[in-house]
Amino acid sequence: MAGAIKLSIESFDHEYLMYLIKRILQGLLSIVGASIVIFVISRLSGDPIAMLLPVEAPPSLIEQTRRDMGLDRSYFEQYVIFARHAIGGDFGQSYRWQMPALELVMQRLPATIELALAALLFSVVIAVPFGVLSAVRRGSWIDRFGNVFAMLGQAMPGFWVGLLLVYFFAIQLNWLPAFGRGTFAQLIMPAIALGWYPVAAQTRVVRSAMLDVLDRDYIRVARALGVPENVVIWKYGLRNALVPLITIMGVYFASMLSGAFIIEVVFAWPGLGRTVVEAVFARDFPVVQAGVLITSILFVTSNLLVDLSYH
Amino acid sequence: MSRRTLILAFVVGAAAIVVSRYLWLPANDKAATDSLTLAFAGEATDMDPTKSAAGIDYYFISQIFEGLVRVDADGKFINWLAESWEVLEEDGKTIIDVRIRPNVKFHNGDPLTAHDFEFAFQRQRDPKISRWSHNQAMVERFEIIDDLHFRLHFNEPDVTYVSDYPVLRLWAIPKHYFQQVGDDGFARAPVGTGPWKFVSRKVNESLQLEAFADYWNQEHRPHVKHLTIKVIPEDLTRIGALKTGAVDWIDAVPPAMIQDVRRTPGITTASYVSPNNMFLQFNTHMPNSPFNDLRVRQAVAHAIDVDAIIKNVLFGQGERYTQIGSGGSGHDPTLLPYEYDPDKARALLREAGYPNGFDTPCYNLTTPREVNIKEVGEAMFAYLTAVGIRCKVVGLEYQAWLNIGRRGRNAPPEMDGVVSWMWGHGAGNDPGVAWTGHVHSFQPGAGFGSYSYTDDPLLDELIKAQRRTFDPEERAALLKRIARIKHEQLLGGLPTYRPYVTFAWRTDKVEFKPWPDAFWRSMQEIGIKSSEPASAQTTE
Repeated sequence: MAGAIKLSIESFDHEYLMYLIKRILQGLLSIVGASIVIFVISRLSGDPIAMLLPVEAPPSLIEQTRRDMGLDRSYFEQYVIFARHAIGGDFGQSYRWQMPALELVMQRLPATIELALAALLFSVVIAVPFGVLSAVRRGSWIDRFGNVFAMLGQAMPGFWVGLLLVYFFAIQLNWLPAFGRGTFAQLIMPAIALGWYPVAAQTRVVRSAMLDVLDRDYIRVARALGVPENVVIWKYGLRNALVPLITIMGVYFASMLSGAFIIEVVFAWPGLGRTVVEAVFARDFPVVQAGVLITSILFVTSNLLVDLSYH
Repeated sequence: MSRRTLILAFVVGAAAIVVSRYLWLPANDKAATDSLTLAFAGEATDMDPTKSAAGIDYYFISQIFEGLVRVDADGKFINWLAESWEVLEEDGKTIIDVRIRPNVKFHNGDPLTAHDFEFAFQRQRDPKISRWSHNQAMVERFEIIDDLHFRLHFNEPDVTYVSDYPVLRLWAIPKHYFQQVGDDGFARAPVGTGPWKFVSRKVNESLQLEAFADYWNQEHRPHVKHLTIKVIPEDLTRIGALKTGAVDWIDAVPPAMIQDVRRTPGITTASYVSPNNMFLQFNTHMPNSPFNDLRVRQAVAHAIDVDAIIKNVLFGQGERYTQIGSGGSGHDPTLLPYEYDPDKARALLREAGYPNGFDTPCYNLTTPREVNIKEVGEAMFAYLTAVGIRCKVVGLEYQAWLNIGRRGRNAPPEMDGVVSWMWGHGAGNDPGVAWTGHVHSFQPGAGFGSYSYTDDPLLDELIKAQRRTFDPEERAALLKRIARIKHEQLLGGLPTYRPYVTFAWRTDKVEFKPWPDAFWRSMQEIGIKSSEPASAQTTE
C-alpha cells in the first residue's frame, strides 16, 4: 500500500514536471513568435528616419543615418542582430529617448503593474460579492441592479469613465487628484477606470457559476445536514464557483498590462502602455520590441500560473 | 493549493503590493513656498540640444540652454550670449565674427568661453550626433581668436545661419563638464547657462528645475526658486489640474475649452501666434495634374472660407496670413488673402476646362501636430468638394504624411493631389529655410526642394539670392518679391492660417511674461506674485 502510494506520488510528480516543462517550452515559443511578429510589423509600419530627422534634412543625411542605425540591412539580418543582443538583455537604444530601450521599459513597467493589480483588485472585490448576491437573490432588485450594472460596465469605454471621474471627483468635487502617481489617492480613479470593464464581466461569470453550483447535489446535502446558509454559500458554493473567475482574472490582468495606455494618458499615469504607444507612432522600434516582449513574457507567465492552478 | 486559497492569496498579495508602496513612500512634502508647478501637454525626448529633432524638444531645452542671439519678449532679435557679432568678408569668403559676453557661467560654475562653442560646433556638425548637421554644412572651419572671441569661416554665404532659429545655430555646451561625464552623463544631468538648473527628471512624468543663482542676466530672469514641469497629455485632466490648484500654469488650452477656462474665476489666459504656418500644397509636378493650371489653383484659393474655419473649427484661435506672417522678415501688408468666392471658383474651373469639376486625392494629417488640424483639413476639403474639386480624403498619420510629401523617395505613392502642410522655423518666423524646402525646385542631393512641387527658374534664383544676402533690407526686399510671385502665381501652395496657442495660469499666484522661444514656453521670466527675486532667497 505504501509502495503504491509512493509510486502514485512519484508518477504524479513526474507528470506534473513534464506538464510544467511542456508549458514553459510552449511559452518560450510564444515569446519568440511574438518577437518575430512585432519585429516585422513595426518595420512594415514605416521608416523611423523620417521621424528622427528634420523635414529639410538632405537625402544624403537620411541615407547615412539609415546606415548608422543598421536599417539598411535585410530584415533577416536585423532580426538576427536584434535576437542575439536581446538574449543578453540588450534591446538597443531608443531612437527617440536616446537611452537603452529596456531601461526605459523597466522604468515604466512597475507603474503599469501597480495600476493593473489595483484595477484587478477593485474588480474582484466588487464582482465577487455582487455576483454571489445576484445569484442568491435571483430575480430580486439586487439581481436586476447587478444586470444593469454589468451592462453599463460593458457598454462604457474605460477612457470615458476616466474622463467622467476626472470631471466629477477632481474638477467639480475636488475630492481626488486629477493626475499623476505617488499617492494612494492618485491611484483610486485610474484603478476604477481600468477595472470598470472587468467588473461587469466578472460579476456575470460569478453569478452564472454560482447559479450552477447552488443547484448541485452536495449543496442540497449540506443544507439538509443543517449547515448555516452563509457557510453553504460562501464556503462550499463560492469555492467551486471560482474556477471560471480565476481563468478570466488571468486573461484580464494580461490585457490590462497591454491595454492600460488610454487610462494612462487620461490620468497622466507614467506607465508602459503610454510609452509603447508613443513609440509605435514614433517608429521607435527598440522600445516597441522591448515593451511588447516584456508584456508577452508577463502574459505567458500569467496564463501559465492560471493553468498550473488547475493541476 | 485550493482555488479559493489561490484567489485569497492573490487578493491579499495584490493588496499588499499596492498598499505597501504607499506605506513606504516618504510623506509628500508640503509644496515649497517658493515654487511653481506647470503642466505641459508634451515633453522633450532629449535633454541634449545637439540631439534635438523637433520643436517640442525646446520646451525643456530652452529652460536650461542658451544660444548667441535670440528673439526677446517684444519680438526683436537681441544679442544674448553674444555681446556682439558681425558679418565680414575676407578674400571673397563670408566670416561671422562673434564676441562672447564675459562673466557668463555654466550651472556647474565653469566659465563660458569660445572653446565651449567650438566643442558645440564640432558636435553639431557630426551627423552621427546631431540631426541638424546639415545646418553647419556651409561652415568651413571654426577659429578661436581668444577665450571670448571666435570666427566662423564659411565655404559659401548662408544667411539662414543668422536668420533661422536658433540664430547663429550654436548652443553653449560645457566642454570640460561634458568630457568628464560623457554623452550618457550629460543627457542624465545636463548643464547649461540658462536661467534654470536641471535638478531631476522622470520621463513621461516631470522635470524639476531650480533657478540659477549666478545667472548672468539680472534684468530678465525668473522670480521663483523651484519649477516643476508636469507632463499631462489629456486636455480635460490638464485643465482640471489647473482648476483644482494642483498646478499653477498650463499650456495648450484646447480651443473648445478656452471660453470655459476664461470664465473660471482666478484664472488668466493668453493666446500667442504659433510659429507654424499652415498651407495647402498642390501637385504641380505631374504632367496631367489639373493643378498645373493657375486658374485651378486660384479656384482652390477662392473656394475655401478660411475665416469661417478659424471661427467655427478653431473657435477663433487662428489668424489669416499671406505668405509671411506679421513680424517676419519680408512681411508685406499689401498682400491680402484671396477672398472666399465659390461662384468665382466655379467660373475659374469652367474657364480651365473643368465645367464638371474633377476628382483628386486630398491628403489630410490626422496626428494632432497642431490643434484640430484634422478637422480643419476636413473642412477645407469639404469646401473644395462643394465647388467641384471632389476630394477623396485620405487621412495620414504623421510619418505617412511626411513620406507623402517628401520628394525623391523613388517609391510610391507620390503626392498626386492636394496635401495640408505646414512650415515653421521658430521664433523669428523667417521663411528662408522653409522656402528652400518647399518652393525651390527639387534638386536631388543638393538640399533643395525636398518637399517642393514647384519648378520656376526665377523663384529658384531669388531663393538662392536671398540665402546669400546678409543685408537685412536687401534681403527683406527679395523675400517680399518672392512672396508676391508666390501669391500671384499660387506657387508653393496656398497659405491658410497660423494657429494660436493658449496658456492659462492662476491669477493670484503667477506672474508670467512670455518669450517666443520654444513656441512661447520659455520660462525666462516667471515668478510668484510679490516675491523677491530668487537670488535674494536664503539658500537651503
